[in-house]
Amino acid sequence: MVQDLLNATTLASIYVLFALGMSLVWGTIGILNFAHGSIFMFSAFIAYLVVQQIPLGMPAVIAIAMVSGALIAVAMQYLVFQPIMKKAKNPHAGELQLVIGGIGLSAIPISFAQRSTLSNPFGFSAGTFETQAYTIGGVIITNVMIIILIVGLGLGVGTALWIRNSKKGLALRALGVDPEVSAMMGIDRPKLALATMLYSGALAGLAGALLTYYFNSITSESGDTLLLKAFAIIILGGVGSIFGVILGSFILAFAEFAVLLYTNGSWVTAVSFGLLFLILLIRPQGILGKKEVRRT
Amino acid sequence: MMGWIDQNEFLIGSTLTVFLLAISIQIPLRLGVISFASIGYYAIGGYGTAILMTQYDVSTWTSVVVASVAAAVVATLLGLIISRLNGLYLAMATVSFSLLLSAIAVNGGSVTGGAVGLFGVIGDITIWHTAGIAVVIIFLVSFTERGKLSRRIDATREDSQLASAMGINVTAYRRLSFPISGLIGGLAGALAVNLKTAINPESVNFTLVVLALTIIIIGGQASWIGALAGSLFFVWLPEILVFVGEWEEVVYGTLVVFAAVLVPGGVVGVFNDWRHRRSVARERPKVALLEAAAGESDAELTQSRSGKDG
Repeated sequence: MVQDLLNATTLASIYVLFALGMSLVWGTIGILNFAHGSIFMFSAFIAYLVVQQIPLGMPAVIAIAMVSGALIAVAMQYLVFQPIMKKAKNPHAGELQLVIGGIGLSAIPISFAQRSTLSNPFGFSAGTFETQAYTIGGVIITNVMIIILIVGLGLGVGTALWIRNSKKGLALRALGVDPEVSAMMGIDRPKLALATMLYSGALAGLAGALLTYYFNSITSESGDTLLLKAFAIIILGGVGSIFGVILGSFILAFAEFAVLLYTNGSWVTAVSFGLLFLILLIRPQGILGKKEVRRT
Repeated sequence: MMGWIDQNEFLIGSTLTVFLLAISIQIPLRLGVISFASIGYYAIGGYGTAILMTQYDVSTWTSVVVASVAAAVVATLLGLIISRLNGLYLAMATVSFSLLLSAIAVNGGSVTGGAVGLFGVIGDITIWHTAGIAVVIIFLVSFTERGKLSRRIDATREDSQLASAMGINVTAYRRLSFPISGLIGGLAGALAVNLKTAINPESVNFTLVVLALTIIIIGGQASWIGALAGSLFFVWLPEILVFVGEWEEVVYGTLVVFAAVLVPGGVVGVFNDWRHRRSVARERPKVALLEAAAGESDAELTQSRSGKDG
């Protein structure tokens, strides 16, 4: 029982790392990034390619994945999302173009990875890092799990507090509420948008590397599965709420573990869609979200 | 000609069913509703037909009609349930609806055939039947693309608040788009399963959402011509260029990104823009003459006025 709770908490921490960047980008600069899952997968893939050549330890692998993720995200923002937003006649038309651009973008790295791995799983087994398991009072915990728990929860809470209390955080929140007025107040939207995408890409890379260490390997399609789960997490917690992301991640991870315990495994994928659909029907603004007020 | 049709029957059939699926997504999209539920309707139509035909020995056409109507009924209910949502939230709800259905297909046991799916669906639908259905749908859809109705639809999409201020019942229009989209999507699935003789959960997952959306984006959102152009392009391009077949996803992904950034109106949109510019260029001299004439009469008017004053 305690073991299950610990495993679920570790999974929740991975979800936090993945969904955090996506929620931040959606809630502040208004981009629902459908390519977030492929950034996650491809940065782990780049780290895998490097490890195949040079056997590296965990810090180096994570650093490579984070830098790759950040670079990919910034390139996407600079080459695709920013031009779309600049061109859009109204926010609504831009919304659809952004979704479509993201869907198109996500197909490219995924099929590259699929072709070069022949759709086989890949991992960092060529690196120097060794997983070690400790048994404390009958509960097994590995060093990877400890790292995931500390990094996931630490970054989740840290980002939430930063957004809530810092001046830059205030600027980001203002962008989420009203981009035009915040531009008049002197907020440099393109610059902040680029910085937010950079942070979100680095988080995706971090999540990709840690998940690969945790499961020993991932596949080219892992990003897509997580993307759909992240939608559920973000909507559950409420768009724009960082504490909501943490809450949503825990709800989803524990619900999935409960389903895994009481049914056979094949219903697990349905949990996130079911939760997403339910919360949209009952409380579309999410558990911690505020109701959007629009004046026109 | 007949020989060519016989040889390429499968490709023509795929083009037509993909076209119907694209139309099913396009109808809500033209009203400003981003809905991915068409994949769910497609799954209901496909699985419904396959289950009726293989397990209950229902005749082909009865199965197709029953399954398509079932998809329309589910679509109507979905439309009522999610009517509170709009924009991306609605898009998310419809994505999860479609993926829930594919999860049900995986877990459906002997009814849906689990992960393997259902096969051996052999009916008596020929390529001519499918083509006939497509033509009827094109005929009906083209009515919504002309005159008053078309302008109302455009207004609903471009500015729903303005549209309702003009007396257009935006909610009713959007709600009505669900059963229509459901019927066409279900029909697409039912015809596709007859063409391929099999259906499995893999064929109704997120990839199909992406493909159908891509078709509309490349072709153009505003007209059935766009959906048809996109379907032709996507089904035939990998056949003609082997290189494209190998790097299919990369080529499509790049095209979609380019389309999203550079030509939001799609191929048809570019053509329409060009036609619009040309007609403007042709009319410009006449307009200039009219303006000049108007300018003169204005000048006369002010002169006569100032004359009176003075």
